[in-house]
Amino acid sequence: MPEGILCNKQVVDTKEKLNALLADKSGKQYYDEMTRLDVDTEALWATIEKTCKSRLRTWLEICAHCGMCADSCFIYLANKRDPKQVPSYKIQSTLGEIVKRKGKVDNEFMRYVMDTAWAKCTCCNRCATYCPFGIDMGVMFGYVRGLCFSHGFVPWELKIGSGMHRIYKAQMDITTEDWVDTCEWMVEEYEEDWPGLEIPVDKENADIIYTVNAREPKHYPEDLAEAAILFHIAGENWTVPSQGWEETSLAMFAGDWGACKLQVESVYAAMDRLKPKRMVVTECGHAYRATVLEGPYWAGIKSGKTPIESFHYVEWVAEALRTGKLKIDPAKKIKEPVTYQDSCNYIRNGGLGDYAREIMSYIAEDFREMKPCREHNFCCGGGGGLNGIGRYRKERNIGLTVKRDQILATGAKLVVTPCHNCWDAIRDLEEVYKIGIRWSFLKPLLLGMVEVPEHLLPREE
Amino acid sequence: MFKKILFATTSSPACDNAAKVAFDLELKWDAKLMVFHVLGVPTRGYSSFVTDVRTGETESIDPDYVEWVTEEMKYTYENLLKDSENSTLEAVIGVPHREILRKARKENVDMIIMGAHTRDEDIGATRYRSVVGSTMQKVAKSARCPVIIVSRPCTTCWKLFSNIVICTDFTKASNSAFLWAAKLSKEVNARLHIFHAVDINAGEPGKVSGQSEIEGRINEAKGRIETMYIPELKDFDNYEVGTREGTPYVEILKFAREKQADLIVMAHHTREIDPELALLGSTVEQVVLRSACPVTSVNHPDKVADE
Amino acid sequence: MYELVTGPLAWLSFGIFFFGLFYRLVWYIRGLNWQMDRVSYTQNMVYGIKGALRSILFWLVPFGTRSWRYYPGFTILVFIFHICLLATPVFLMGHNVLLLERWGFSLPTLPEGIADFMTTCVIVSAVFIICRRIALPEVRILTKPYDLFVLAIAVAPFITGFFAFHQVGSYDFWIIAHVLCGEIMLVAIPFTKLSHFLLFFLSRAQMGMDYGIKRGGMKNKGMAW
Repeated sequence: MPEGILCNKQVVDTKEKLNALLADKSGKQYYDEMTRLDVDTEALWATIEKTCKSRLRTWLEICAHCGMCADSCFIYLANKRDPKQVPSYKIQSTLGEIVKRKGKVDNEFMRYVMDTAWAKCTCCNRCATYCPFGIDMGVMFGYVRGLCFSHGFVPWELKIGSGMHRIYKAQMDITTEDWVDTCEWMVEEYEEDWPGLEIPVDKENADIIYTVNAREPKHYPEDLAEAAILFHIAGENWTVPSQGWEETSLAMFAGDWGACKLQVESVYAAMDRLKPKRMVVTECGHAYRATVLEGPYWAGIKSGKTPIESFHYVEWVAEALRTGKLKIDPAKKIKEPVTYQDSCNYIRNGGLGDYAREIMSYIAEDFREMKPCREHNFCCGGGGGLNGIGRYRKERNIGLTVKRDQILATGAKLVVTPCHNCWDAIRDLEEVYKIGIRWSFLKPLLLGMVEVPEHLLPREE
Repeated sequence: MFKKILFATTSSPACDNAAKVAFDLELKWDAKLMVFHVLGVPTRGYSSFVTDVRTGETESIDPDYVEWVTEEMKYTYENLLKDSENSTLEAVIGVPHREILRKARKENVDMIIMGAHTRDEDIGATRYRSVVGSTMQKVAKSARCPVIIVSRPCTTCWKLFSNIVICTDFTKASNSAFLWAAKLSKEVNARLHIFHAVDINAGEPGKVSGQSEIEGRINEAKGRIETMYIPELKDFDNYEVGTREGTPYVEILKFAREKQADLIVMAHHTREIDPELALLGSTVEQVVLRSACPVTSVNHPDKVADE
Repeated sequence: MYELVTGPLAWLSFGIFFFGLFYRLVWYIRGLNWQMDRVSYTQNMVYGIKGALRSILFWLVPFGTRSWRYYPGFTILVFIFHICLLATPVFLMGHNVLLLERWGFSLPTLPEGIADFMTTCVIVSAVFIICRRIALPEVRILTKPYDLFVLAIAVAPFITGFFAFHQVGSYDFWIIAHVLCGEIMLVAIPFTKLSHFLLFFLSRAQMGMDYGIKRGGMKNKGMAW
């Protein structure tokens, strides 16, 4: 079968296609069709010739096969040091083979490549910092994901996810009306406790344009309300765009570069339209990476920077605490041992480790670092889309053990997790391994300890 | 008074008593009843997994699963649905309190009915109570309409209520609760008991209030009831005023029992306690868990005033 | 024969070596693409250069990076191997004598004993590297005959040179074999994995620019390698 009804080389760009995929139970039919999907070896090779240039070729070629990347990979460690999980082996046996065979690979091989690219690598890029040559297997697997996607070999959930971005410019089916209505709803719900609270939509020339993860308006709008309250307390002049509010990119996890471009352009268009001074992104790791770090390149912006300067939420919080916009009540600081989950996407790959420490110095009395930490921290276990893929649930749960042991070693019972994926992975690791920990985003923690200026308190009659 | 009723159910026996009240109200008030079940809590990051509200198990979500749960609901409420004239069943994915509030807001409902759990021996009771307890508190705090919580069999039909207790702490929210209770009392011609409990534990910790001070506070409360509430009742005279001192929830329960209350109405004391931190901490929840009759929490003026 | 291998063949192999490396350099740089690599190389050159230098320097220092510190034994092995492999031929007395004879200049030279010791170091560390390849499962799975072949090319001049210097058997045989092996190595550098002679620096520089420009270099003090 050249192309399946659900599993094919087409992108999902209509609601009909999307609904057909969604109706497939756990992707059963989709994965069944995948076993019969033809590999267009010529197109595959043509793409490689065009896009696999000196950087990737050099990485593939000069790899000394020294194995120094082995221990850098949490999946290798979690799988009892299975040699098949050594990053170098993983990339050489997939991309390396495809290049060696000049694209002449079959369906079974492509499914192996898919399983490797999504279940054995979260694109945390830790290996790149352990390889003497700086060979970045994470970057290469990102590239492999792109190849897989364009040939139809992509996990079901991510095919849906990238389709969502194409259709809704968001990872979930949220329309502009839904989003604006959610903003209004949250103001309604919280304005009694916070008189004067607002979530200004489409306000021009604001100091801050705030963008979120679609799961917040969809399922956890409190997060949006909490952000609004913190901006309110800090006295920020801020806004959210009615369109272009979604920061995340499942398309990046899927390797659907076309959808990546569409998604970030919607955010950049909001910047152009509303002319804010800077953007602040919610507590999400891959969203920051997609829209702030990688996005400009997808959109073809030569400076490699977003049209206006962009900040991760931790940068804003650190700044607000430093400048006194937010003041912490010393009596309410976190007294118990607490640790911080460094998100690969904005700590290792965004360099924001210092800001996280700065925040912790204001809010925690007994802050304990994981070992290793900062740029060298291990992935939570659910990055790169792995949390969301049913097919790889078992593999994901094995991977969580590394983070579990890291957290246990700190002795902390509270983990600060300013990243949606990390939050989930740590929640899941508690559910699977029951180690008795709690975890939280920064916003609810901050709300519990900031000093609220007298004039912002509700007036008691 | 009740045109649209949202019955938020866990679709389990814990909500059976609430279900009976909900379907009864639908018939007696010619209301539209929406039976609403939130079946799974989604993840924060991207995934199609949800945590089943009842079992705590992780489930992979798809349209079939949601349909299956809806079918199951039909089966659960088979008997009640037989007589029902205007009801719908719906199962959705989401965080329970959030989806209940979303639905209530979207449909502009006049009341929300929820069940509560009182028997510890049931399997999963602890988990259930922690999920439902916090859901109930969050819904009660934020809902624009009254929230009725039914934990024990309610033998009296609402139309036949004869005693309604309104517990006030003189906050703005309590005022709304009072107005709603008064409206209902007038409508079903029940006796309205306006009640305030002076909290002897309030104030500085460790400091025991003297008898004279307590009496002073009781008199003050009586005075406030006279000036704040009685004029609002206008020509309605089937009411009485009661005040007690003690731990509020205990006094409320004692008073309700004495007066053979069919319904307790109170405001959720918003700033009382963080619902996340103390699951069984608030006065509302203590009353809900122990009350023999249904409890209504009213916090907002939206669905209270006469149209 | 000696004349042939030290004359035309030497010219040829040095020619291939330099030209090959030059080609590699041009090919590598031309193959970089700001948009595909997602690094704005030219637009943020200053950050890029800073990142590149940091990336190279930290990795050139023994135990200079977390990775080097993580594998102390192997790090020692790698640095001994590479330092001896690069320094010995350049500063060997015999080579510099040749240089002086042919081109009239010479570099500082190593005492013979030290050079001999360093040659031994290359051979011994190569043996250890092979043992490590066989002993560790995570390295064994990566090892291909090609890896051993490349290692053999790199070490062969040292083995043959060692035998020639110590006059084990026929000196003439070993010296010609030594020169040939050296020339094979020179020719092999641009064509095999040995190209990391140059590409190590380019690849490290590229990764450094990535970290210096995109992955936080503009917001922090530089990647903590």
